[in-house]
Amino acid sequence: MLSYTVRRVLGAIPTLFVLLTLSFLLVHLAPGSPFDTARQMPPEVRANLMAKYHLNEPIYEQYGRYLYNIAHFDFGPSYQYKDTSVNSLIATGFPVSLTVGGFALLIALALGVPLGMLAAVRQNHAVDYSASAFALLGISIPNFVIGPLLILWFAVDNDWLPAGGLGSWESYVLPVIALAVAFIAYVARLMRASTIEVLRSNYVRTARAKGLSSYRIFFIHVLPAAILPVVSFLGPATAAILTGSVVIEQVFGIPGLGRFFVNGALNRDYTLVLGITLFYGIIIIFFNLLVDILYGWLDPRVAY
Amino acid sequence: MAAATGLLAACGGSDDRFPDRIQPAIAPDGTKTLRMGNGAEPQSLDPDESSGVPAANIEVNLYEGLVSHAADGKLIPGDAKSWDISANHKTYIFHLRHDAKWSNGAPVSAQQYVYSLRRSVAPATASPYADIHSPIVNATAIVDGKKKPATLGVKALDKHTLQIKLKKPTPFFINTLAHPSSFPVYPPAVKKWGHSFTQPGHAVTNGAYQMESWRVNDKIALKRNPYFWDNKDTKIDRVVFYPITDGNSELARYQAGALDWTSGVPTSKIQTIKQHIPGQYHSVPTLGSFYLDLNVTRPPFKGNRKLRMALSMALNRKVMVNKILRGNEPPAYSWIPTVVRGYKSVQFPWADWPAKKRIARARQLYHEAGYSKDHPLKAELLYVSSSESEKRISIVAAAMWRKVLGAQITTTNQEWKVYLQTARRKIDTQIVFAGWYGDYQDPNTFFSIMKSGSGNNYTGYDSKVYDRAITASEHTPSGPKRTALMHKAEKVLLHDSPIIPLFFVTAHHLIKPYVKGFVHNPLDMYSARFFNIVPVNNSRKSQ
Repeated sequence: MLSYTVRRVLGAIPTLFVLLTLSFLLVHLAPGSPFDTARQMPPEVRANLMAKYHLNEPIYEQYGRYLYNIAHFDFGPSYQYKDTSVNSLIATGFPVSLTVGGFALLIALALGVPLGMLAAVRQNHAVDYSASAFALLGISIPNFVIGPLLILWFAVDNDWLPAGGLGSWESYVLPVIALAVAFIAYVARLMRASTIEVLRSNYVRTARAKGLSSYRIFFIHVLPAAILPVVSFLGPATAAILTGSVVIEQVFGIPGLGRFFVNGALNRDYTLVLGITLFYGIIIIFFNLLVDILYGWLDPRVAY
Repeated sequence: MAAATGLLAACGGSDDRFPDRIQPAIAPDGTKTLRMGNGAEPQSLDPDESSGVPAANIEVNLYEGLVSHAADGKLIPGDAKSWDISANHKTYIFHLRHDAKWSNGAPVSAQQYVYSLRRSVAPATASPYADIHSPIVNATAIVDGKKKPATLGVKALDKHTLQIKLKKPTPFFINTLAHPSSFPVYPPAVKKWGHSFTQPGHAVTNGAYQMESWRVNDKIALKRNPYFWDNKDTKIDRVVFYPITDGNSELARYQAGALDWTSGVPTSKIQTIKQHIPGQYHSVPTLGSFYLDLNVTRPPFKGNRKLRMALSMALNRKVMVNKILRGNEPPAYSWIPTVVRGYKSVQFPWADWPAKKRIARARQLYHEAGYSKDHPLKAELLYVSSSESEKRISIVAAAMWRKVLGAQITTTNQEWKVYLQTARRKIDTQIVFAGWYGDYQDPNTFFSIMKSGSGNNYTGYDSKVYDRAITASEHTPSGPKRTALMHKAEKVLLHDSPIIPLFFVTAHHLIKPYVKGFVHNPLDMYSARFFNIVPVNNSRKSQ
């Protein structure tokens, strides 16, 4: 296990390098520059600005400088938020996305898994139909609709929760719910399908034939096998949810990473986009590794 | 299915209910906080690095220039209590008030203004607004790197007297001193903290407020500067700016009572708001204009003035503003917005014609330009993809041209940065939707962009007559002679019609009834020092 982990971590370095190089080329290929604004500056003013951020240098020099800085854990200055650095933007945005995303994910698991299992056990009964209807709704209604509706009900019509912004714990409630709904639905559907499949497998039938209690069959034999698709879904989902949801952040006015990323891309803030891309890459690799390790633990057929 | 029906009912029903809580943020100790929606996150709060409205909104609260703007936008003394202008209009002597102080209690000195203005033009600072100082002696050469910042025509005659020398008389120079890029910065803070001197704990400012906290994309809170020279007349203790880009989210937070002021109002909600809370809705005509640029460097608009004029005359601007925008925008028949003080703009001669006569003339010009039903004009109109109102106006314009002239205009959109590049290249464009917000209170902030060398002139318009008149007006003291020059230029511009003015910009705000002191300001930029919070009554629902 240890050598496997070390191999995977070492293998991540070239992956990140390729990711960084491609992203670097792509952001620089995008038309427009970070300093194109509605009011066009005289060429001399613009030249001063380009020189200040070394954007007047040949692209390979910029790349070399960028790699050097990355090696020193310096993501550079942000071109859009000029008074701060990309490091500090990530440092302030990530905890927010982590909190909102983390709670949304916990709720998704806590509700989605039992809901899916219940629907599978009571297949084609009222519970199953209700759970499936909820799942369908949760997946089909986009969160840019759910978010404003929640605000309308809980903040505007009734003075129960804040309409946006970050302050007390109450301000986290609506964004977490809005973000969690789709994930609850998705986890429930995955869980239902896999539970149904496992319930029909030979070893479960054998367990029943041996006269094991339903409790034992369900929690010892069915659950670990049925949860595998959810676990593989969790790797990329966790990475995505933790790096922020731009829609939720926009609707609720939350200072998470997602908005930085999208605003950075729209404003050609090269360093901010690259910084978050790299950060995102590291998180994806980390969670995929975590999932693979979990797999080995849950599924006896997988060995490292 | 039941749930889905419930959702739709909730969506449909929201227009009928318009809850609106009115509780001012007054702490038990009497601290008054004004909570303002501010559109977007400012890029910077360094007066020499920033650009854009969100930054300027905050900077006018943090800083005070030599001159300042009153609540209604009029120019008033700032750190300079008075100034003398030499007979040749080229030397300005500013007398600083002795009680002007920074937020740490240190006095504001003339030397600090010298430092700040030199910093603003220094190539190392790379200020996007460095060129606004170009009237000052040597400013342009310093920006170009040909001279040292120390050679700038700015000198401290003593601790409280500042001299600024201009290359040529420039009547609007005094207005540029109220622009953020002319605000002073506190030299020790800049030297100590570098680019982070604007951050809480580092920032030292000379305006009515000082930095309290700043969390990017969340909020920027300012608190009273006790050393501000007019602190005794400042009523609001704290100002909090929220960067909310989504208009509907901002409205929800206003309704929920978490904002006292919105930076805008979603177009689709204006009617509902006017119906439910008319007393809280304010539309302010501003120094902004929306227009279409016609690329006169290439066919079909090159050398075809009649075609350009035909397109301009075919548009019914009143329909555009009354049916599409619905926010009291004045239709534009001139280049300079009507709210610019001290200048009455020249109008198209046909501005007041009845629709029938105007359309008949448009058709006649279209035919004289060489186009007809069998040989219609085919062209493309480019607008910015993220702007819903630009999209709607563009579609309506194309429909009007088709109906009135039979012209086949297609609309296309591009993402903002791509649009800027395309429009400036002037190779692929024919008609471009554009807008301009003035930087200072003088017609020149509009006239200058249509000069032949201007980077903001997307039309390629190059008129010697226009250029000469405007250049002369830039160096003619205010008075009938200058006005005549500007009138001449505007007349030539309207006659040549490289642009089709559509409407002037109106800013929309929702302001809670307990916020007092609001008056229309064409710059649409407000310092909270002129406001107050006075609870109106105890009821939770407004009218």
